Amino acid sequence: MIFSYNYLQSFFKEPLPKPEKIAEILTMHSFENEYIEKRENDYILSVDVLPDRAGDCFSHTGIARELSVLLNRKIIYPKVKIKETLKDKLPIKIENSSDCLRYTASIIKNVKIEESPKWIKEKLEICGINSINNIVDVTNYIMLETGQPMHAFDYDKIVGGITVRRAKKGEKILLLKEKEQLLDENILVIADDEGPLAIAGIKGGKKAEITKETKNIILESANFNSKLISQTARKLNIRTDASIRFEQNIDPNLTINAIERTLSLISLPSSSKIDLYPKKLKPWKVKVSIKDINDTLGIIVSEKEIIGILTRLGFVVNKNMTIEVPTRRQDITIPENITEEIGRIYGYDKIPLILPSFSKPAQINYDIFWQNKAKDTMKELQYSEVFGYSFIGDQEREEFNLSVREIINPTSSYYKYLRPTTIPQLINFTKENLKYFNKVKIFELGKVFGKEERIVLSGAVSNSDYLGVKSDILALFNSLGINKVSFTKEEIKIGKDIIGKVGIKSGITFFEFDFEKIQKNAIDNREYKHVSYHPIATRDISGLVDDDLEIEKIISKIEKIDLVKSVEVFDVFKGKNVPSGKKSISLRVNLQSKERTLDGQTIDRIINKIKETINWEERK
Amino acid sequence: MDIENIKKEALEKIENIKDKNDLDLFRRDYLGKRGKIRDLFSLVKDLSIEEKKTLGQKINQLAQEIEEIFLLKEKGFKKEKKEEIDLTLPVKMTELGNLHPITQVRREMERIFQLMGFSIVEGPEIENEWYNFDALNIPEGHPARDALSLGKTFYLKGGNVLRTQTSSAQVRYMKKIKPPIKIIVPGRVYRYETTDASHETNFFQLEGLFIDENVSVANLKAVLKKFLEEFFKREVEIRLRPSYFPFTEPSFEVDMVCTVCNGKGCSSCKKTGWVEILGSGMVHPNVIKNGGLDPKKYKGFAFGLSIDRPTMMKYKINDIRLFHSGNLNFLKQF
Repeated sequence: MIFSYNYLQSFFKEPLPKPEKIAEILTMHSFENEYIEKRENDYILSVDVLPDRAGDCFSHTGIARELSVLLNRKIIYPKVKIKETLKDKLPIKIENSSDCLRYTASIIKNVKIEESPKWIKEKLEICGINSINNIVDVTNYIMLETGQPMHAFDYDKIVGGITVRRAKKGEKILLLKEKEQLLDENILVIADDEGPLAIAGIKGGKKAEITKETKNIILESANFNSKLISQTARKLNIRTDASIRFEQNIDPNLTINAIERTLSLISLPSSSKIDLYPKKLKPWKVKVSIKDINDTLGIIVSEKEIIGILTRLGFVVNKNMTIEVPTRRQDITIPENITEEIGRIYGYDKIPLILPSFSKPAQINYDIFWQNKAKDTMKELQYSEVFGYSFIGDQEREEFNLSVREIINPTSSYYKYLRPTTIPQLINFTKENLKYFNKVKIFELGKVFGKEERIVLSGAVSNSDYLGVKSDILALFNSLGINKVSFTKEEIKIGKDIIGKVGIKSGITFFEFDFEKIQKNAIDNREYKHVSYHPIATRDISGLVDDDLEIEKIISKIEKIDLVKSVEVFDVFKGKNVPSGKKSISLRVNLQSKERTLDGQTIDRIINKIKETINWEERK
Repeated sequence: MDIENIKKEALEKIENIKDKNDLDLFRRDYLGKRGKIRDLFSLVKDLSIEEKKTLGQKINQLAQEIEEIFLLKEKGFKKEKKEEIDLTLPVKMTELGNLHPITQVRREMERIFQLMGFSIVEGPEIENEWYNFDALNIPEGHPARDALSLGKTFYLKGGNVLRTQTSSAQVRYMKKIKPPIKIIVPGRVYRYETTDASHETNFFQLEGLFIDENVSVANLKAVLKKFLEEFFKREVEIRLRPSYFPFTEPSFEVDMVCTVCNGKGCSSCKKTGWVEILGSGMVHPNVIKNGGLDPKKYKGFAFGLSIDRPTMMKYKINDIRLFHSGNLNFLKQF
């Protein structure tokens, strides 16, 4: 919100500190100052009034009050001088007192509509409000001063009386600047006997607009239900200087003061005020404890000082620290609110730094531990970590035939679903990066969203060397201490549980694992295996085995045989010269003993055992 | 027998020897049991004493000389031949894998808070509205709820929302752990935003929560300063400014002295000398109540730190969208 330095100055007898100083004081104790700008002989202060204080500080009076507390200076409120001599009356009705908390009005006759005096125009311009005519400008000026939005209607154009009521469905209003607005029963209006004159708290209508011809006016100074105004403003997408104030909790006791200030500035005789205020808001009490305040802040502020601060803020401090809260401070309802007041006025910078005493050590989070371990291993395997959005669109959904959860309000149609897998994104990233790199290896460890929110580890490599990917997967599992892993044609299993899959799309090999299943099987405690210095005996054998015997099985069976150190399959062949139901395989077996060098006899015995185990047949 | 000739011949031969094999042959031919020196000595045997003496001396001298040149040559052979290299030749850098900069910064943050006794926990990204709003003292109809829920929150078909802040995990853990509760919650959060260089729909936060019987603003200040000093690896000055969050009271914005200009005022701190670094406050009694704890007994502080922003500050990254770009030209720099 924009404030004028000169306007603020008018509340004080002595000169205020420089604008920069004011800005700093406000930033440290009340609201952040965004910027200061010099304007002819004035300064603009852009102050970011906090939402809970908008009710009393969207006004120069509010900021001046803050300054008077912070600078410990007396604030001088502008004078009020009115002549309520007219006998005119207008019937006014509030349909529902929870929609309109108060409606204050006053009739002024024989006004001359003209340009405003220079000093008013200047103030409005600095605060970003266009000058319209002397009457409208005064109402805006008083809004800037007090925070109370006001409205002026052409008294002679009002038919019958005024009713504050909900609009009827289908009712219409022609707003200022010729825009027609369709209304409904969620919208509060100010209406005469014929129809709506204004959307309450938001915008006036054309019908009773102040024009050059206007002679007699009625001033409105009202208080509406803030939630209702906020909803309407959002729904109609109309934001005005009035609506942004009415959306906050403005003090309903403010209407009288504001209307009297307006009448003072117009300086014409007026009717006696018409004031509908069904349920007067009275100050309320909050009980605080000096000890609690100091314990929370971590500092000792004396009782005298606390009472001093509260009194300057306009609170009445009664016995036993029972605080009476002025009605403009609707943000203060619990003792913690008072603690905040003391803290900010006293100064947060005066609070010392005290590290909390040691209570207990942090606990290891094993989810994070294994995620880190997996990420580190992927990095060692030369993969680069990427993050994809949690969102995908129709293209991915259709291309990969995915069932997805839908977002009601996506930012764009490309991001309308939650991703149930990261594979489409990884493939896209790979394709994009191939424009700049010869080879791409990427991975992501992130959340996906199916029926449940899950974490997956997935990767993509920019070629169809799926066996290379298999090597990486083996290294990953080895690093995570998992040795029970087995492979089917396209899937990876631990025991009987499928934990992941590998595939190729557009020449890109991808894989995805359920990370929770990996983590469940990961082991961190390794046991040292004896390191043998005896020579390794290597034998190659080739022959026929049953076709339905999986290579994985052959290897795992052979590796279980005593003295077999490792085994690799280097050729598998089916077809010509191989009987059906059989396949030809070539194996290299490495044998090693921990205790001795193996002799020929022993080696032959093991090879025979291997052949028996896998039901090996000589090739014919 | 001409000693001089033998010597001359030996010197010539050894000069031309190129490998170890030839050198062994040389030793055999001259210094071996049936070598030329031995032959000379066997000739001396039949001569007179006088002649034996003079010739013997000469042969000994010859033997000594040949042995010396042999040893010298052998020594030369024992040294391995030096490989010629040239580091001025161009190569391509070895490809390493990379961890995302956010991962690296997140780990660093986790490490520092763990040293101060904060345990890491995680919360769900799909959150129900109660934990995301109501539990945090943002009831239906609250202006902050409107501000956050209308326009900022992603809603899912069939109910629930994507969490708008990691704070939604606060009450979950208050219900789960007995005080003292000292946790950080790092993770991904979501806001409905029009994306640009400084706004993203998917980004990362780290929430901190400390609840115990005697927790004060003084504790909050000390913990945050310590964290920032460890993180930026330098002395850091911080300040607390009044702020407003529905789930804390009092609430603060925490600024640190601008690391670019050391507080003198520059373009990165908008000439103020300070950079806004996180939001924090004392946990609102309603939130403590919602966590099943007695606000008369327990107090606490909470803070919410962006992970993206300090990462951008640390590496001088000027576009937040790069984090989710999958662009290796970017990601391989870290």
